[in-house]
Amino acid sequence: MEIIRVNNLHKSFDDVEVLTDINLTIESGSVTTIIGPSGSGKSTLLRCLNQLDNVTSGTILYNDEDITSNQTNLNELRSKIGMVFQSFNLFNNLTVLDNCIIGQEKVLHRSKHKSIDNALNFLKQVGMYDFRDRKVTTLSGGQKQRVAIARTLSMNPDIILFDEPTSSLDPEMVNDVLEVMKNIISKDYTFIVVTHEMEFARDVSDRVIFMETGRIVNDGTPNEIWNINSSERLKRFLNI
Amino acid sequence: MFILSGSIPKDFFGGIWFIIQNNYPLYLEGVKYTLMISIAGTTLGLFLALLITIFRIQESDSRDNFGTRAYKRISVIMSASYVEFFRGTPMMVQAAIFFYGFAMIGIRIPILIAGIIIVTLNTAAYLTEVLRAGINSIDKGQMEAARSIGLTRGQSFRYIIFPQAIKNMVPAIGNELVVNIKDTAVLSVIGVSELFYMGKSIAGTYYRYTEAFVTVAIIYLILVLITTRILTLIVKWINIPNKTTFPTSQSNPLAVN
Ligand SMILES: Nc1ncnc2c1ncn2[C@@H]1O[C@H](COP(=O)(O)OP(=O)(O)OP(=O)(O)O)[C@@H](O)[C@H]1O
Ligand SMILES: [Mg+2]
Repeated sequence: MEIIRVNNLHKSFDDVEVLTDINLTIESGSVTTIIGPSGSGKSTLLRCLNQLDNVTSGTILYNDEDITSNQTNLNELRSKIGMVFQSFNLFNNLTVLDNCIIGQEKVLHRSKHKSIDNALNFLKQVGMYDFRDRKVTTLSGGQKQRVAIARTLSMNPDIILFDEPTSSLDPEMVNDVLEVMKNIISKDYTFIVVTHEMEFARDVSDRVIFMETGRIVNDGTPNEIWNINSSERLKRFLNI
Repeated sequence: MFILSGSIPKDFFGGIWFIIQNNYPLYLEGVKYTLMISIAGTTLGLFLALLITIFRIQESDSRDNFGTRAYKRISVIMSASYVEFFRGTPMMVQAAIFFYGFAMIGIRIPILIAGIIIVTLNTAAYLTEVLRAGINSIDKGQMEAARSIGLTRGQSFRYIIFPQAIKNMVPAIGNELVVNIKDTAVLSVIGVSELFYMGKSIAGTYYRYTEAFVTVAIIYLILVLITTRILTLIVKWINIPNKTTFPTSQSNPLAVN
């Protein structure tokens, strides 16, 4: 079943087009990674999917509903499409636990009790249960990103967007976070991951998309991307 | 108006001492008004600033319809104009316009109330800019993350951005109080019997202007020193790094550190 369908999407900032005619369907429960050089529009595409950026033209269907329309309730939409950022963006005024319950209470209107239960569950899953009462500013990068993942999971989203979740981490923490990500992969969530971790992309993806200058240039299974129909350009990018 | 006991000594310090001894109830009365107006004005001004800031930081996005867009645009223009007017004109002039303006149309506002209103309006303009700077100083990622879990813009400000911004703003708000303690002096123009006004009338009684005003200056200095000490303790208590002091660009800001 498809959960996302992007049709003829164009996106410009001022007069500069950064996404050109993007067409894409995403299967529910799948893992898609997006790779490509810096500035190719990967982040912008992700941000269009949860409407942090709005599109210039084209449509994005989420469960057959066009979310670029004015009718869409964006807050409700975003509670179902979570996002994990490169720079974590944990709420600095809140504790680890409160980071994971504020959205549940204020957006999903869950009871405090239920929100805490749910949050603690996910904090356990990412290995941050013992840090639940800490101020987030006292955590290391890897710990912050694990909390950010728990914050997103706590909303019980359908889709999770990851925008280079390990790019601002010290090398020794990268694997921690990648392990956590591998751990939560299941048919319950649809993952769309922008990453420069090629090995990870190759291991966990159902599908890999290669972007360059605002276009989707290659789109296939890891096997297709790495072994079968790689262009010279893609081979150079993948270092193979 | 008050009783003279003996005659005032000729020398400077003797004069000051005599003036203090014979007039301290008047000075205390002045101090009472000065503190009342500056504390009430700063507090009310902070609340008014919060309200104005809500209008000041409206931003249109491409999904807004024409009505919403117009409403936001007007909010920004009105609130920005308010700030410009009150920061761009002397408080003494504002006080005169306000007081005599209402008198002209037949409305008598009690002088104390008029004083508090003027300081409130003025403080609100400065603190609106402080609030806005405080909000702008918060990393954009905080707002993005808040929106990404589905919080509305209003909720994001209330629960995430604002609590972080206000912590940074405490020194600037304290500074505004100190500025107000000194600047209430200009309210003597409409006859508010605050400290400077009392000083003037005491000076006039003895024809010893320097002595009377030096006394006033010393009292202001004591008030300001005590206030800044208290503010420093408050700032320490809520554990704010000293670096986060915002300049208010108002006359002679006495930094709280
Ligand atoms: N808010 C913005 N205003 C103007 N231009 C922008 C904005 N955001 C992104 N761009 C531009 O759009 C292009 C695509 O940016 P984007 O961040 O999507 O690339 P990316 O593939 O994620 O790159 P990276 O790997 O460096 O994160 C870049 O040229 C960038 O400068
Ligand atoms: Mg990017």
